[in-house]
Amino acid sequence: MNKFAQLAADITKLWTKYHTAYLSGIENTLILALVGTVIGCLIGFICGILNTIPRRPNDHPLKKAILALVRVIIRIYVEVFRGTPMVLQAVFLFYGLPYFTDNAVKFTSVWAAAIVVVSINTGAYMAESVRGGIISVDPGQTEGAMAIGMTHVQTMTSVILPQALRNIMPQIGNNFIINVKDTSVMFIIGFPDFFAAHRATVGASYLYFPSATVEMVGYLTMTLIASFLLRWVEKKMDGSGNYELVQEDQLTMTAGTYRHPDKGTPFDERSKEYENREKEAE
Amino acid sequence: MQDLILQINHLSKSFGSHEVLKDIDFTVSHGDVISIIGASGSGKSTLLRCVNLLETPTSGEILYHGKNVLQRGTNPAEYRAHVGMVFQSFNLFNNMTVLENCMVGQIKVLKRDKTEAREHAMHYLEKVGMTPYINARPRQISGGQKQRVAIARAMAMDPEVLLFDEPTSALDPEMVGEVLTVMKDLAESGMTMLVVTHEMAFARDVSRRVVYMNGGVICEQGSPEEIFGNPRKQETIDFLSRFRG
Repeated sequence: MNKFAQLAADITKLWTKYHTAYLSGIENTLILALVGTVIGCLIGFICGILNTIPRRPNDHPLKKAILALVRVIIRIYVEVFRGTPMVLQAVFLFYGLPYFTDNAVKFTSVWAAAIVVVSINTGAYMAESVRGGIISVDPGQTEGAMAIGMTHVQTMTSVILPQALRNIMPQIGNNFIINVKDTSVMFIIGFPDFFAAHRATVGASYLYFPSATVEMVGYLTMTLIASFLLRWVEKKMDGSGNYELVQEDQLTMTAGTYRHPDKGTPFDERSKEYENREKEAE
Repeated sequence: MQDLILQINHLSKSFGSHEVLKDIDFTVSHGDVISIIGASGSGKSTLLRCVNLLETPTSGEILYHGKNVLQRGTNPAEYRAHVGMVFQSFNLFNNMTVLENCMVGQIKVLKRDKTEAREHAMHYLEKVGMTPYINARPRQISGGQKQRVAIARAMAMDPEVLLFDEPTSALDPEMVGEVLTVMKDLAESGMTMLVVTHEMAFARDVSRRVVYMNGGVICEQGSPEEIFGNPRKQETIDFLSRFRG
């Protein structure tokens, strides 16, 4: 038992001395993960839209050629950045640019470099997720939009993407949580994230394990809070399960209305919500 | 002489080696209410989808006020704004309320301002009896109600022609009536309609011209009295006898 007491004492010692380093590390990690995920999602959405522009047999040959070229470029981008470790991508970008240009082109701030690497990495993953999200929306939605004269871009922005976004929210959440953890590799270019705080503290205190414990608890707390918030956002996006009848005439027929117990079945993770609704209804 | 809206010449459509439509000639004039009947797989829906360019015909031409819309350089979106479509599976936008469904096209495509679009949408929603449900989402209303909203959505665009692709086929029997009533009202108000349907009573009592399709060709067409009272072709007689029982 005294080992745990020892650990607690060491952690207290670390925390009183280095808590500013840990806290600013947490702050930097969260900012980097958040900004990287948001920009990554934008890249993913742009790639997803470009990838799903319909090609019709009687299109202009130039349009066909450009679309084909765009798809090839996106394909290469996705394969390269999804297929190599982010830590090496950071090294390539941060040290490779000055190497090739004799210091003419280089990142002057590790923040810019880190955000660029995390964003394009997330974008490569999101490109495929967005494509999947778009494909998973019922084709009838596209036809409905086209039938009232919407262009491809209007169909996408008004009808398909809002639904695709809802479908891929779990994936975006996944990516954010992965980014919270994986930004720890950015110490390689000297980014002052939460893990860099660990390296700095143990360098001075030699308390490897207690500091690692602080890190573990810190990362888990961040990801748990993120999970919780993402679920909350998803629920908000689903909107209310009920609606108000706009009734000027009290005799308006109400046949055919019913309360929808949400899209999920009673057996999925939202079953609690379902039960509550059933109870409410009684 | 009625003014011609659509003229379809020698239209053919193949999916791979399977020829679904063979050399179809067909016209739609202002005020026409045309029912297209025929067995499943006879090409009726494909014809309708070709007219709205949801399918690209293999050959032939579709003249809209004399201008071929299949020509390179014509904007399909612009053409579709004039030709409304009501689908078998409703295709209401799931991410919008009933009212938003009827407004979005007016705002994005016709560039109407919000108040005008709202007034216009409410006008047609009232016609189909859906004003109480303007805040509901498609998943919360019944099939018949969805189809009535879909009709209001198409009408709000002030189309010249309205195409119906088996509008009652996905509905429970007790909901078919409410949709047909709305369609009958539309027909009586002078709307130009092209209806693919299995509802023989509608074809007989509401439409002014009936087209019988069989095997990708127009087998016979004429007034409802001619087709239902005195069909000339043996295929038409066989097809109709299945509905009389």
